[in-house]
Amino acid sequence: MRLYKVIGHTADLRLKVEGDSLRELFTAALEGMASILKKGVSAGGEAGVGESAELIEIEASGPTLLLIDFLSEVLTRSQIEKKVFMKVEFDELTDTSAKARVYGAGVTDFDEDIKAATYHEADVRKNKAGKYETVIVFDI
Amino acid sequence: MDIKDFKKISDVLWELPKTFRKDMRAAARVYATDEMLKDMMKDRSLQQLVNTATLPGIVGSAMVMPDAHEGYGFPIGGVVATKFPDGIISPGGVGYDINCGVRLIKTEMHFDDLRPEAESLGRQLFHAVPSGVGRGGTLKLGIGEMDKVLKLGAKWMVREGYGTGDDLEHIESGGCLSNADCDVVSDHAKKRGADQLGTMGAGNHFVEVDRVESVFDEETARAFGIFEGQIVVLIHMGSRGLGHQIATDHIRTVLKAMPKYGITLPDNELACVPLSSNEGTDYYNAMAAGANFAWANRQMITHEVRRAWETVFGTGAGRLDILYDVAHNMAKIENHSVGGIVQKLIVHRKGATRSFGPGHPDIPSEFREVGQPVLIPGSMGTASYILAGTEKSMLESFGSCCHGAGRKMSRHAALKEVEGRELREQLDLSGIHIESGSMRGLAEEAPLAYKDVDEVCEVVERAGIARKVARLKPVIVVKG
Repeated sequence: MRLYKVIGHTADLRLKVEGDSLRELFTAALEGMASILKKGVSAGGEAGVGESAELIEIEASGPTLLLIDFLSEVLTRSQIEKKVFMKVEFDELTDTSAKARVYGAGVTDFDEDIKAATYHEADVRKNKAGKYETVIVFDI
Repeated sequence: MDIKDFKKISDVLWELPKTFRKDMRAAARVYATDEMLKDMMKDRSLQQLVNTATLPGIVGSAMVMPDAHEGYGFPIGGVVATKFPDGIISPGGVGYDINCGVRLIKTEMHFDDLRPEAESLGRQLFHAVPSGVGRGGTLKLGIGEMDKVLKLGAKWMVREGYGTGDDLEHIESGGCLSNADCDVVSDHAKKRGADQLGTMGAGNHFVEVDRVESVFDEETARAFGIFEGQIVVLIHMGSRGLGHQIATDHIRTVLKAMPKYGITLPDNELACVPLSSNEGTDYYNAMAAGANFAWANRQMITHEVRRAWETVFGTGAGRLDILYDVAHNMAKIENHSVGGIVQKLIVHRKGATRSFGPGHPDIPSEFREVGQPVLIPGSMGTASYILAGTEKSMLESFGSCCHGAGRKMSRHAALKEVEGRELREQLDLSGIHIESGSMRGLAEEAPLAYKDVDEVCEVVERAGIARKVARLKPVIVVKG
């Protein structure tokens, strides 16, 4: 199970994400970012079916930096290719490395101009219920 | 944190001593009234200010201006100076929108002459300046051309026919930072910016036609070429996706390099390294390239504004000259007097404007005697200001002051309070014509989401770090 929720920030945008596993957490974060970029793109990636996959390989010193770097990489490709990536399949995901294929659909424009996924307040950890969670602040 | 933790230095300046938190390397100062200070405590602005006071090599105090609000890493409105060359440079201290800034174009037109054509001009400007998220401009840059833009900034645009030599003299740093290095700008960044030159983007960026509603300082206004009733154009935007990607790439690199320099910080977005390190120098040179792109962007938009003007008013409508173009997200190497000794410093301004005082050699000669024009955009329904830099800002705030009204309400909260179409109608009734591609985006930028720009400018004037020259009232606002 996974979920994401947009919460307040004076100027930017905070996203709270949660998942039963690291994989679910990363997926929730990707889906959350996609929902900000374009309203109505749904989790599960219906719109992604038939689109070609993009391979993303990232390494970092821990899961928090890995998550932000993963989102940054997806965001970069979104902006360059004018696509919203809403579906991900992981070939490999550890605390320090990710190899994944993301699927996206082309858009004519975005609803929100996400400048960046920031490291600010990001802290991937297990909560009392045993779920992975973190907050992500997007610069918009 | 409590108001009692602050020492009141004047009625608009507060100081948190270095002893407030163990890891602080300097005191932290806040330009604010009592009420503003209390409001700043409602979000994380002041914790973020304290975090910036922990940066290695900090000189003087960490500061925030009265338009401060919560950001990430640095607070918005933050100013931090560090020792040159071994003090730190922080990409997060500049932010993702490198050289986001404001340009003011003076026209020779009086408000009464514009009024009948306001709607027509608004539509023309909206079509001339591509806006919205993900929409490209008419100029598509190949890699070779992109490198020239990154290296030469507004100079390249002028060479290509998008402006005049006189324009360059009225841009901070002549619209070109000479240390720009295209080789430390990634292909991703170049691709992200390839079709964005001459585009506005979204959020709080705009092209705004204003009338000069009142002049506070006749002598300075005369030197600036500003008069009551005059129509001026404000352009607010930055380096678009290119700058965002430069910041993303280099924050990642700098974060990884920090252990090598023994740097630990309370927030990863403060990531920093000594300027003299390879990573620090690479960022500084990449940032310069991003800054040059932003100046080129504002130059392209200036060209489009001039064309729109000619389309609506014909060739006899008079000149459109740049008063000045100022950055408010930047790190620059500058000389400042610290304890009576002039030192070279690395000055980070994140949501703060350079406000050099009278006589500074970097100010264009025709108004050097009165101080640098400082451009403060307010919210679209209220007012904007032209200020002038002061000697006191050179002594007290590293030649810096506020950059705008400053948000006080999140975008989501604003959306709950106001509906875009309704807001457009209200503004229209008050004589402000709005052109916007997104009613949601318009609602997010509603005036109620911002602090009172009059109060912000009053505070910097009372603090002596800028002087009010003129107040501008919006007539046409074009947003993404």
